Amino acid sequence: MTVTVSSSGSAAQSDIERQLVRDRGKEDRRGRIVGSLLAVAPFVMVVVIWWAIYTIFDPVPTKLVAPSKVVDAFFELIREGTLPAYITQSLGRLSIGVIIAIGVGVPLGWLLGLDKDVASSVEPMLRFFNAISGIAWLPLAIAWFGFTDRTITAVIIYTMIFPVIFNTMIGVRTVPTVLRDASRSLGSGWFRVIKDVYIPGSFPSVMTGLRLGIGFGWRALIAGEFIVGGGGLGFLIFNSRTAGLTERVMLGMIVLGAVWLLIDRLILRPIEEFTAARWGMVRL
Amino acid sequence: MTAIPMPVLRTSPWSKVKKYALPIIPFFLLIGVWVSVIAIADPAIGILPRPLKVLQVPFQEDEYWPNVTASLGRLFIGFLVAAVTGVLAGIVAGLSRKFADFIGPLVTAMNAISGIAWIPLAIAWFGIGRGMVVFIVWNGAFFLIFANTVLGVRMVPEVLDRSLQTLGASRLHILRNVTFPGALPHVMSGLRSGLGFGWRAVIAAELVGATSGLGQWIFIAQEFARADIIVAGALTIGVIGLIMDRGLLAPLERRTIERWGLVESSA
Repeated sequence: MTVTVSSSGSAAQSDIERQLVRDRGKEDRRGRIVGSLLAVAPFVMVVVIWWAIYTIFDPVPTKLVAPSKVVDAFFELIREGTLPAYITQSLGRLSIGVIIAIGVGVPLGWLLGLDKDVASSVEPMLRFFNAISGIAWLPLAIAWFGFTDRTITAVIIYTMIFPVIFNTMIGVRTVPTVLRDASRSLGSGWFRVIKDVYIPGSFPSVMTGLRLGIGFGWRALIAGEFIVGGGGLGFLIFNSRTAGLTERVMLGMIVLGAVWLLIDRLILRPIEEFTAARWGMVRL
Repeated sequence: MTAIPMPVLRTSPWSKVKKYALPIIPFFLLIGVWVSVIAIADPAIGILPRPLKVLQVPFQEDEYWPNVTASLGRLFIGFLVAAVTGVLAGIVAGLSRKFADFIGPLVTAMNAISGIAWIPLAIAWFGIGRGMVVFIVWNGAFFLIFANTVLGVRMVPEVLDRSLQTLGASRLHILRNVTFPGALPHVMSGLRSGLGFGWRAVIAAELVGATSGLGQWIFIAQEFARADIIVAGALTIGVIGLIMDRGLLAPLERRTIERWGLVESSA
């Protein structure tokens, strides 16, 4: 009997709990709705100010257009298919740069992190070139590769590779020596230590460098597309200005920011958090 | 109490040589490769200049120094305006939690639309020239400085604020003696990254929208196949960036953190 009582008791309890959970869910949902409304609010404010300035000063269309014109331009470019094409073009260029920068930068960073002499030898030169922004090399890249995609790729790689190298190096260096010693005393050889201790231990830092690098690379890409042209979001903004289509300029800027936020929040941050949770260092 | 004998650190002469020699090797290697490429392939000056030619640019080109000062002047004005507006707006926004939360998403979005993306619109607004470059510098640096200042103000422990309030201090007094010094380390790191960002923005803006300045100069040099000017310009950009960051702002930041940073003192 006690079993039934307790079970019915727990049933009643779970009913209450379920109700509570439901209530909390409702509250969460309400909180989330309020939260997202609050997140939208400052943008509404900007649009209102923008519209007010537009109505009061009545500027020439090459300087400022009504927000509604930008929305029209959005649908127009979607219908034309230009906007999706430009977005894929920009993302494609970025991806090529990212792949090459990882392929070269990460192994180099590991090497620098593992060998002190190599690091103290190469680091000053890397820091020096890091101080010269990739954009400053754009004229030379044009002289070498002409107005082609290769110029843009070269500038993206140059911009991205330094943060990737430095952060990978720091990641290897900050792996606690206790872990290395433990692995060594358990009889693993150097290859094993590098493979199982240093490389996984550096992952969180590698991701941080990658996120930083892709952010810089994204900006370099835009500058490259301004000057080199040949499609892409940067080209859309720059060329529309030359054509006097301010609504397309502003639309391009908004899309640029939105695409970046999506890349950052939906891809880069989750990966960074995952690596930090999986391989992140427990402080020893 | 017997003193624990300290191990004597012996520095061999070899390690001293290593310390200074190692960093130079890659630079020599680079110049070696550069010189050999020129000796073997003999490329046109528009593709690869001779190292000596690059070194001569600051002394032989009359346009070198005016362009350097033009770029630095634009950076200075834009950065000054960004520093003043960014810190002031940041303190005001940081004081009110509600306001800071309110505009948070907007600041994130504005940081996502990088300074460079504003160049075409800035050309439409200000025309080609100084105003537009200054605007781009301001735009790039402002949001960084603003976001860091807000963070700094918010990080000041409320206890300090409250304790002064109970002692009867006025709002202004607290602002001057608690909030501002407490936020200073973050403000400084915001200023530092803002200046670095601003310098890159100057070059990018001049590349497409100016009639003078280092960025414009190296861009035009490409059309006239003068790679010696391009390389000299790029190296100058790097050296100026390093001097500003390592020589000026990094020490300033370190001292601010030492003086006002909330680091636990090892007493």
